Amino acid sequence: MRINFLNRTRSSDSSRLPLIYGAGSLLVLLILWTLSTSVLGWIDPMTLPSPAEVVARFGNLIVEPFSGSTLAGHVGASLYRWALGVGAAVLLGVPVGILFAWLPGFRAVFNPIFEVLRYIPPFAWVPIAILWFGASTATQAMVVFIAAFPACVINAQLGVQQVDPILVRAARVLGAGQGAMLRRVVVPVAAPAIFTGLRIAISNGWMALVGAELVVGKVGLGFLISQGQNNDSVSTIFVGIIAIGSLGVIIDTLLQRSETVLLPWRKPRAQRDG
Amino acid sequence: MTSNKVAFVGAGATLLWVAIWAWLTREGGPVSELFFPSPGDVLDRLIMFWSRPYIGSTLMGHILSSLSIVLAGWVLGGIVGVPLGIAMAWWTRLKWIVFPIFQLIRPVPPLAWIPLTLLWIGIGDAARIFVVFIAALVPWVMNSMHAVYSVDKLLIDAGRTLGANDRKILTRIVIRSAIPTLLAGARIALGNAWTTLVAAELLAATAGLGYVALNASRMLDTDVLVVAMLLIGLLGVMLSALMGLAARMFAPWVKNDRNGG
Repeated sequence: MRINFLNRTRSSDSSRLPLIYGAGSLLVLLILWTLSTSVLGWIDPMTLPSPAEVVARFGNLIVEPFSGSTLAGHVGASLYRWALGVGAAVLLGVPVGILFAWLPGFRAVFNPIFEVLRYIPPFAWVPIAILWFGASTATQAMVVFIAAFPACVINAQLGVQQVDPILVRAARVLGAGQGAMLRRVVVPVAAPAIFTGLRIAISNGWMALVGAELVVGKVGLGFLISQGQNNDSVSTIFVGIIAIGSLGVIIDTLLQRSETVLLPWRKPRAQRDG
Repeated sequence: MTSNKVAFVGAGATLLWVAIWAWLTREGGPVSELFFPSPGDVLDRLIMFWSRPYIGSTLMGHILSSLSIVLAGWVLGGIVGVPLGIAMAWWTRLKWIVFPIFQLIRPVPPLAWIPLTLLWIGIGDAARIFVVFIAALVPWVMNSMHAVYSVDKLLIDAGRTLGANDRKILTRIVIRSAIPTLLAGARIALGNAWTTLVAAELLAATAGLGYVALNASRMLDTDVLVVAMLLIGLLGVMLSALMGLAARMFAPWVKNDRNGG
């Protein structure tokens, strides 16, 4: 046995070998899945549908409404609620985070509330959201907001704390007022951290949305898979899971791309959880 | 502001917030108890809940039900995840084979597996343990892998120069110096497990704090609902604090990150 991991930068980043292995492994998995379901019939299709069935179901859901909407309708409903919740969390959370770092008095007053609320997991808010808003868009958006808000606050605060005091003093000596200081010195330095917070907020929000939709609602991807469960349709659940996972990846990739465009001066990312 | 002053203002602010809460939810106040309970009601309910059962068990019964499932899923995740993560870092080929499958599963929120689990194993402890297991597995594996990668290569070279064989390098150098990162992974895994369990209890449970919260919401028992929410938060903090303690015990040479997520 050789210790391979010492050579990992040399062997895994440049060569095509990992790609070949990875593709091979996924291919084997797909073949095993096909063999055990449609070819050899080891597994009951009610338990695990074949890949072909899942693809067929996917096509079917795109054209025909299931539980009230087509796949596009469910995706649209989920994205809308998610955008509402995350949007509110960013609009409120980033300023709060900046104020937390900028004004220690403000932080001292509001931090106790923030700490208590942030340690209650977003899903624990689902029952009270249902009580307040019923099975409405507001319920889902509130749960998304709760999941996304702490990451916005914490990362904005962290970003502002990273600002070099010398820069602030230099700007003050050069005659910058509070407003100019915030706009021209603090925000550009803090922007990468704020963006990291945004990314975490967005993925936390997406996760929480799925949970909220599973419990309550009449449309959305989480609702789609819970309806799949109620109708004993594993293939519908599979389509829902695949849609949720791939939308998450697409959103995160878009954000990563936009970060390099919007913040070309950013330093290597320091990640921080919500 | 000095830290003393901050603590003073913080304590004062906390009292003020509770006072505002009490004033808003007072009898005949602007917020009805069907919308949000008063602090007194919450406290009364907490004491009553301790001795009298609510939907099947007393408070302790629900708490133990939640905790036992979280621990089961978390430990199972560790039993599978840590060896898998270390092995993936140790044998690059294994990583090439397993990692793509992992990357495929990772973006799916653990909760999305609940309906599938319910169809496959039905409502019961096993379904919740499985979902918690999935939620805990990813951080277990990723951190175990990174823990091995983070080992100082100089130590390994030194060990080899001094005549250690591969097994000794793994057990005496790699695993030992990887302990802090492993513990960090354990902590994240436990946090994920707890969050996911609450959601799983909303969907498939006959006991547990999440189940209590959802039922309280349906019966408009806002005081029970707030008790359950606060306890869920408190237990989450306690689990995280326990993991911090474990880190200080097993890896005392590392400065702890106090704000570990």
